[in-house]
Amino acid sequence: MQLGFLVDLHLCMGCKGCEIACKVENEVPLSTWRLRVKYVDVGTFPETKRTFTPLRCNHCANAPCERICPVSALHYLENGIVNIDKERCIGCAGCVMACPYGAIYIDPQTQTADKCTYCAHRIASSMMPSCVVACPVEANIFGDLDDPTSNISKYIQQHQGDVQVRKPEKGTDPHHFYVGGGNVQLNPLASFRGEGHNLFNNLTHIHLGGHH
Amino acid sequence: MVHETLAATNAIVVLDVALPSVFWGWIITMNMWAKSIGTGIIFLTFFLLKKYPEQTGFIRFPSVVISIVFIHLFLFFTVIDLHQIFRFWHIFFYPHLTSAITIGAWMATGFVGILLAMAYAIYMKKDEAMYDKYLGWATLLAIPVTLYTAGLMAEATARELWQMPTESAQMILAALLAGSATMILLGGNKFSDAIKKDLALILGFSAAAAFTLYMSEYIFGGMKAEEVAATLAFVKGGEYTAMFWIGQVMAFLAPMALVCLSLKNKSYYLLKIAAVSALVGLWVSKHVWLVIPQLLNMS
Repeated sequence: MQLGFLVDLHLCMGCKGCEIACKVENEVPLSTWRLRVKYVDVGTFPETKRTFTPLRCNHCANAPCERICPVSALHYLENGIVNIDKERCIGCAGCVMACPYGAIYIDPQTQTADKCTYCAHRIASSMMPSCVVACPVEANIFGDLDDPTSNISKYIQQHQGDVQVRKPEKGTDPHHFYVGGGNVQLNPLASFRGEGHNLFNNLTHIHLGGHH
Repeated sequence: MVHETLAATNAIVVLDVALPSVFWGWIITMNMWAKSIGTGIIFLTFFLLKKYPEQTGFIRFPSVVISIVFIHLFLFFTVIDLHQIFRFWHIFFYPHLTSAITIGAWMATGFVGILLAMAYAIYMKKDEAMYDKYLGWATLLAIPVTLYTAGLMAEATARELWQMPTESAQMILAALLAGSATMILLGGNKFSDAIKKDLALILGFSAAAAFTLYMSEYIFGGMKAEEVAATLAFVKGGEYTAMFWIGQVMAFLAPMALVCLSLKNKSYYLLKIAAVSALVGLWVSKHVWLVIPQLLNMS
């Protein structure tokens, strides 16, 4: 079994329901996110549109975070999920530096690394991840990539040529796919990012607990 | 931040989480800097004792003390940067051997053990032969202890600027630069002119080689990868430009010039100034190179 995610960006309407569901389900502390939706405005008035891109851990088959973790706190589950053992984590932040997707943060309460686990605890109870359940338009498609009859496999087959991953050049082999994504959504360098366009405008930088 | 967006698309992030702050900051810089001195002084001690055994015997004790002090500083800063300081022992009991952090921790532990054995041999036993025997092993082990940080930076896949070939060369050069500078300051006027000349040449050549590598990356790095170009923008008119050039001048350019002048004028005083400048500048240049890739938003 190889669990994976696919987000159809044609369907996502930026309601942030998945963000909230994730926060509640996993008790994600303030100023940190396991899953978030990035808004990018494209074009010049009046020819403008807004894109929405849910971003979470990619659960890579060749995960840099798992490789760099000195104590195997980040480890693979049999279903392909890159899980984290918070009791073992020493908080070295190597994984934060290694993840090309910026998906890992240091939990300010436990002072250990944390990230999306595809709701591994729910999956163990045969439930869907909370973000999948919360999505009102079923833009989040979750399932077994090894099973050609699963919804995610069928979706990938039906949308061949329009299925992308983030930063394929990193060789991480992500198990998180996007349909309908473009450069401005998936490449962080393709969109101008200034200070102040944040969820909380008084927060210009996330203070992750590092020293500088 | 980065301005890579096309005018035609005019793509602007209008809502997201805040920009990332620096994660590995001055503590990790201190870590790398102290390690360069701690391993570099061992490289130089080995070299001098092999080439000038009759004249340099007095460096055995002070050099091992300096190495012990700076390696422990390196270990201290390594541990205090952890968010769970008291779980440091997990590295030894739950080791993950694909991680350069694990390998480095084990190597550094072995290195400290040999250094303590060297100190015991020279201070308690007064046995120079035993010291020299341990010194050979310490010199061998100092190589991976120096290089593991380069491996760690290479494993930080997200930071395109840090590549293993250049970082490993930079780590070794930093150790030679710091080791020769420390030895110049340690030796005072007890060294002969020939030894001073050797130390000056090691300092000058390691500075020249490190500067060449930095400039190669500065000029050509951005031509191969968009992320590297965006990262280098922080030192090409960006917020770290002044600090970058202060580091380059103090660590490499000034020592090169001062080494040339000291060799020409046979001035040990100028060589000492070069040594101090190199040590201070090394910290600054390492810090800039550590911080700038962390300023890019990964998503």
